[in-house]
Amino acid sequence: MPSVQFFDVTREIYWGILLAFYLFYKGMSAGAFLLSSLGTVFGIERYRKLSKVGAILSLVLLVFAPLFLLIELRQPGRFLSLFYRINITSPISWGVYLLVLYAVALLIYTWYLFRQDMAANLTGTGSKSGFYKFILFGKEDLSAKAKEDDEKQIKFFGAIAVVLALAVDVYTGFLLGVVPARALWNSSLLPVILLISAFVSGAALLIFVQVLVDKFKFGKVQDDIKSLLSSTANLLKWFILSDGVLLVIYLIILSLSGKVGAAATYFLLFDETWSFLGLEIGLGLLVPFLILLTKKTRQSLNSVVLASILAIVGVLAMRINLVIGAQKIPLTGSRLLEYTASGRDLAAVIILSLVMIVVLVVLFAILPMNRTDKKETNVGTLLKSNTKGVAQ
Amino acid sequence: MAKRLAMVIDLRRCVGCHACTVSCKSENNVPLGVFRTWVQEKEKGKFPNVQRARLPRLCNQCENPPCVRVCPVNATYPLENGEIIIEYERCIGCGFCIAACPYDARFMNPERNTAEKCTYCNDRLAAGLQPACVNSCVSGARIFGDINDPQSEISKLKDSEPTIVLKPELNTRPQTYYIGVDEIAVRPNLMETIEASILNRVGGEK
Repeated sequence: MPSVQFFDVTREIYWGILLAFYLFYKGMSAGAFLLSSLGTVFGIERYRKLSKVGAILSLVLLVFAPLFLLIELRQPGRFLSLFYRINITSPISWGVYLLVLYAVALLIYTWYLFRQDMAANLTGTGSKSGFYKFILFGKEDLSAKAKEDDEKQIKFFGAIAVVLALAVDVYTGFLLGVVPARALWNSSLLPVILLISAFVSGAALLIFVQVLVDKFKFGKVQDDIKSLLSSTANLLKWFILSDGVLLVIYLIILSLSGKVGAAATYFLLFDETWSFLGLEIGLGLLVPFLILLTKKTRQSLNSVVLASILAIVGVLAMRINLVIGAQKIPLTGSRLLEYTASGRDLAAVIILSLVMIVVLVVLFAILPMNRTDKKETNVGTLLKSNTKGVAQ
Repeated sequence: MAKRLAMVIDLRRCVGCHACTVSCKSENNVPLGVFRTWVQEKEKGKFPNVQRARLPRLCNQCENPPCVRVCPVNATYPLENGEIIIEYERCIGCGFCIAACPYDARFMNPERNTAEKCTYCNDRLAAGLQPACVNSCVSGARIFGDINDPQSEISKLKDSEPTIVLKPELNTRPQTYYIGVDEIAVRPNLMETIEASILNRVGGEK
C-alpha cells in the first residue's frame, strides 16, 4: 500500500559542483603526473618525452584544485585553522597536509626537470631569459656533474611525489567513504575507482595537451611523439577497461547490499540514466574504449585525441554523479533532493577553469619544452629500433 | 554513572500539532527554511483503514557520532553529558558534518554561515529549564532527562516500554528513543521514492 508524504521539510544539497570539480582536477593532476613519471621515476626512457608537459599540467591543476574547495567553504577566512586544528579521524585533515606535501614535492621535481634547459637558454636578453634567471636562483651550472645531480633529484623528488600523488587520490575515496549513511559513497572500492579514473582522465589530458603543445610550439607533432602517444593511448585503453570493470563490480555489490544499496543502484540506472549510463559509461568509457580498440585508430592522432576528450568528459560526469547523485537520495524524507548549481558556484567553476587554462598556456609558452637533449636523442635512436613491442 | 542526556518520544501521545517545531524555531532563532527539529507526517492505507504516521525528528546526540568524526577543525564535539555542540566561531562551513549525518539533523545556517543543529537548548538547560520542544509539547510526548539515572522519568519509561532508535545498523548509537513508531515513518520506501521521481519526469515530458 503506497504511503503519502503529508508533511516534511525540504533539504538542500551543500556539497555540489565545486567539490565535483575539485575531485576532477585533483584526480587529473595525480593521474597526469603518475603517467608522466613513468620516464623520470620508473626509468621507461621513452615516456620521458611526456614528463615536462605532465609536470606542468599536474602542478597547475594541483594549485587550482583546492581553490574550488576554498570557495565551497562558508567561512573561507577560517581555512588556516585546518592546519593547526587537526582531527585525525577526518579525511579533510589528512588531505590538507597531503595536498601541501604533494605540491611541494611536485614543485621541486618540476624545477629540476626544467633547470638544465632554462640554464642553457640564458643567453638572450628578452623577458624570457630574465624570467629563467629569476627562477633559477643562480643555479646555472651546466657541468656533467650538475646534470647528474639533476637526474638524482628528479628521481628522488619524483618518487616522493608518486607516493603522495597516490595518497592524495586515495584519500578522496575516504573523504566520501567515511559516510556510512550514503550507500554510493560508503564502498571499499571507492578509493580504487577514484584512483583508476584519475589515471583515465590524467592519461587522456596528457595526450590531449601534449598534442596541443607540439602543434602550437613546434608546428607539428613529430613521428616519435606520435608513436609514443599511440602507446599512451594503449595504456589509456587499459585504464578505461579497468575503470569499467571496477564500476560493474561496484554496481553489482551495491545492488546486493541491502535496501538502501539496491535503491541507490536503481537510482543510478533508471533515474540518472542519461548522466550515468549515457554520459559516464557510454560516452565516457565505452565509446573511447571502442575507438582505442584497434591499432589503426590508436595510430591516428585525431581519433586518439577524440577518445581522450570523451574520456575526460566521462570522468567529469563520474565525479558529478558520485558527489551530487549520492546526495540526491534522501536520508530521511520521501522525496529525492534537487540540486541546481548556484550562479556563484557556476561562475567560480568557469572563471577558475579559464584562469587555469591561461596560466597553462603562458607556462607552456615561456618554459623550454624541448626534448632534443643530447642524452635523449641517443636513447631515442637506441629505442627507435625496438619501439614496437613495449605496450603496443 | 555519569549524566547522559537523552530523549524519549512517545508517539502514542503525539497529536501532530508541530508546537515543538515552532517553539524550537522561536527559542533558537532558527532562520526560515531550516529546522533543528521538525515533524514528518505520512498517511497510509485506504479509507476507512487509514493511519497517519508521525515522526518528530531532531539531533540524535549519538554516542558514536559520524559528524564529530569528520569535522576537520574539531569544531563539533560531545560534552560530558553526551550533548554534542558546535563551536560556531571555529566552524569553517565545509559542510562535511552535514553530508555525514544520517539523520539530516544538521544544516547550514544561512545567516551565520556555519553548521547548526539541535543542542537540547543548552542555554535553557544551563538556566535549569527543559528544552523548548519538551516544554511546549501539548501532550507530553517528549520526555527528556538523564538516561543513566534509574529514578528519572525517561529511564523508567525507556525501561518499561519497547523503544527503538533510528538507523541502528549504522552503529551511531543514537540517544533519541521512540515509542509506538510506524515502520513507514522510520524506514521510508526508497524504491517507491525513486519510482515516483521517474514517473514524475516521464509524465512531465508528455
